Amino acid sequence: MAATQTTDRLGTLAERARAIVGPVWVLSDPAQLSTYECDGLTNQRERPGLVVLPASTDEVAAVVRACHELGIPFVARGAGSGLSGGAMPRAEGVVIGLARMREILAVDLPNRRVTVQPGVTNLAITEAVAPHGFYYAPDPSSQQVCTIGGNLAENAGGAHCLKYGFTVNHALSAVVVLADGAVVRLGADAPDAPGLDLLGVLIGSEGTCGIVTEAVVGILPKPQHVETLVAFFDTVEEGGETVSAIISAGIVPAAVEMMDRLAIEAARAVTKMDWDAESALIVELDGPESEVRSQFEAVTRICAAHHAREVRVAASPAERAAIWTARKSAFAAAGRLAPAYRVQDGVIPRTRLPEVLRGIAALSERYGLRVANVFHAGDGNLHPLVLYDSAVPEQVEQSEELAMAIVALCVEFGGSITGEHGVGTEKACSMPKMFDGDDLTAFDRVRGAFDPDGLCNPDKLLPTPRLCGEVPGFHRVHPVERAGLGDRL
Amino acid sequence: MGLVEDLAADLGPDRVRPGGPDDAIGGRVPAAVAEPLSPEAVAAVLARAGRDGLAVRVRGGGTKQSWSAPPERLDVVLSTRALHRLVDHAPGDMTCVAEAGMPLAALQAAIADVTTHRQRLMLDPPGGAEATLGGVLATAAAGPRRVRYGTPRDLVIGARYVTGDGLAAKTGGRVVKNVAGYDVAKLLIGSHGSLAVITEVALKLHPLPDAARTVVLRDPDPDRAAAFCDAVRGAPITPALVEAAWPEGLVLVRVESTEEGAAAQVERLRGLGPVEELDEVAADALTADLAARAWAGTGPVLAVGVVPDRLADLLRAARDAGATLVARAPVCAGELALPDDDPDRAARLIDAVRALGGSVQLRRGGEDLRALVRTAPEPAVLRLEAALKDRLDPHGVLAGAAR
Repeated sequence: MAATQTTDRLGTLAERARAIVGPVWVLSDPAQLSTYECDGLTNQRERPGLVVLPASTDEVAAVVRACHELGIPFVARGAGSGLSGGAMPRAEGVVIGLARMREILAVDLPNRRVTVQPGVTNLAITEAVAPHGFYYAPDPSSQQVCTIGGNLAENAGGAHCLKYGFTVNHALSAVVVLADGAVVRLGADAPDAPGLDLLGVLIGSEGTCGIVTEAVVGILPKPQHVETLVAFFDTVEEGGETVSAIISAGIVPAAVEMMDRLAIEAARAVTKMDWDAESALIVELDGPESEVRSQFEAVTRICAAHHAREVRVAASPAERAAIWTARKSAFAAAGRLAPAYRVQDGVIPRTRLPEVLRGIAALSERYGLRVANVFHAGDGNLHPLVLYDSAVPEQVEQSEELAMAIVALCVEFGGSITGEHGVGTEKACSMPKMFDGDDLTAFDRVRGAFDPDGLCNPDKLLPTPRLCGEVPGFHRVHPVERAGLGDRL
Repeated sequence: MGLVEDLAADLGPDRVRPGGPDDAIGGRVPAAVAEPLSPEAVAAVLARAGRDGLAVRVRGGGTKQSWSAPPERLDVVLSTRALHRLVDHAPGDMTCVAEAGMPLAALQAAIADVTTHRQRLMLDPPGGAEATLGGVLATAAAGPRRVRYGTPRDLVIGARYVTGDGLAAKTGGRVVKNVAGYDVAKLLIGSHGSLAVITEVALKLHPLPDAARTVVLRDPDPDRAAAFCDAVRGAPITPALVEAAWPEGLVLVRVESTEEGAAAQVERLRGLGPVEELDEVAADALTADLAARAWAGTGPVLAVGVVPDRLADLLRAARDAGATLVARAPVCAGELALPDDDPDRAARLIDAVRALGGSVQLRRGGEDLRALVRTAPEPAVLRLEAALKDRLDPHGVLAGAAR
């Protein structure tokens, strides 16, 4: 009965959506729909009921209004490169794909900002302004494909956020379609606008507070000078201690990245590089030339003082690019080491790196599964890759357990379950590790203010009974209370 | 029983006193001033307020009450001053956690005190030594260093807070990178105590530089001064301060770097205009003078912001209105001090800033002026703000206003 009603409502929505965006931009054929069943978190899938591909703010608003009227859940989708299931649809819900909205609407160099549609890729912003000597700072590893809409939803970071901050530090304003289809501009052109920082809380809300259909982001002048080195160490601990020493010396590098032996081996399998060490530390400094030169000398000295076996300085842009290729290929290359892998995204206080890496090694041994570590060491954001064989059922389960144990370890050391990938569906059930019932209740209230009907990307970010079974301690407001008809003691 | 006795029963007799004239906010004297010692005690005050229909205004150092609209009713001033501990300082991680009632100055001293590490919270808002962390956050107050380090929203990594109905919750954490959960801190920063009481803050720290050098440009022509500021912004210089002061036509630039870096940047600055370098004593004196300048008189003070390429227009607007402007040039945000209470002068100036697409907020001044400054947001924004207020302070006890 309920299923019939859902089918009917989806049918009604499909009809209305065809009128709004044109029939070819509404997908209902099961084969087409399966393209949208997951994002970069490929082990969780659900085929959506419908996919709608609007081309303008007005069209997005009209589709969302129709969803709102019909009580149909919806999820916005950019490139689908997210790693936490944030763009995973519901079977009875709709995917609102923003791939057609990929125009750069305005480049304002005097005011250092660019106005873009949500489907514009992160890298395309930098490409548009690079000829003028500018760039867009947040640089998630997926920057060639990931979209600015998704970056805003996830508050995307990247290797260089250590010095330059995250998406939220660079977004100035956004046109947003709210959960009921209303269109608002959050943020402002000029600084210090009065009122609540609604844009600030929307960024990183994983698509649960509305759909961004236009964004104004700040750009920066390209740094005058860049220096990059890679240092090799005989132990992972020495690499970790070097990170602490650099930070303690009062140097804020543009990026500090680390790879352990397994990650280096993976990268070596797919690139031409010849790295061979227990750990490799990549340090990049940028800024005014004389400052960078003096600090780079200091970094080189610190590496040597921590027994770096070898320090290689990039002598040209090509050599710099090669170092970064090695680093960025580690993820994809993990596929060479094992049939499958899980990526985690925990954060720890950066001084605890050596201890936590030892802890991960111990867990790896206990579960009998290999873990490759490649991470943003400067801000303590780990990306352990848990390697397993998906054809072996017990490994599937064990790898999941091991991944969760690593997350728990990060929280134990005073960290976070996610630094940049987002909670999504993947870590929603881990939220109680970090937040207690009252914390989650307050989060739920914020979400409820934006989306009282629970249609805007439901089942993401917060634990729900649907995802996690009964969640202890999470107080949800009963409809009777919400209506003011009763109270809880 | 009276309110003071009721609250004393909840908090202990030494944590509550009757309000006096010095506690008045917007001309209203509260019946009681409560100074809770813990988040639980904060929740108790709010719970009582909810039961008894009381209006509660949060106060830290009391230096920025004039930044917020005055309360329509006022029964209790909830002072955060007893929540003043440094909870944690992790020098190697460049983070610290402190209770909301801790004065910013005390925090800076404590950070410098407990470690040989040279680091600092890079916030320098107005308000002097009394300004507390909670108040700085609630008003989103920032100073000259925002040019390089941003405003509270860029430096806060976590917070604990008590909602209007007494729910003690946390957001964020103690690590510098974290996207778990809603960033409620963003909502609380600039909320003027309208949604919740901030009880604890986790902050990102930055290293102190090896060297600092300061130059000034004196040029009364708005276009030339703005062109210099623009050139500074485009040059390979990473200044910590770029303060433009009007009507005298002065731009102060302070670069902070390594010894070599600062020297090279000063050379660059010399190439951009006829600047004069100040020695450390003179630089510090002028910086302090500029920070105090907008607040020196007794007339109204506005916070204004425009897009960067309107800096020359903003300087002209200040000059034409006979106002004193001290602005962070690269972000084009600053304070405008009016010489008197003339409403026409104020109206002309506000119109001029708005005509530039700028923002205006009242920092000090009468209610007539506040009415002039107030703008109505679009209806959907108003609905969202009301929904957040409704859910985080369902009984409407917090007498702060975000607009």
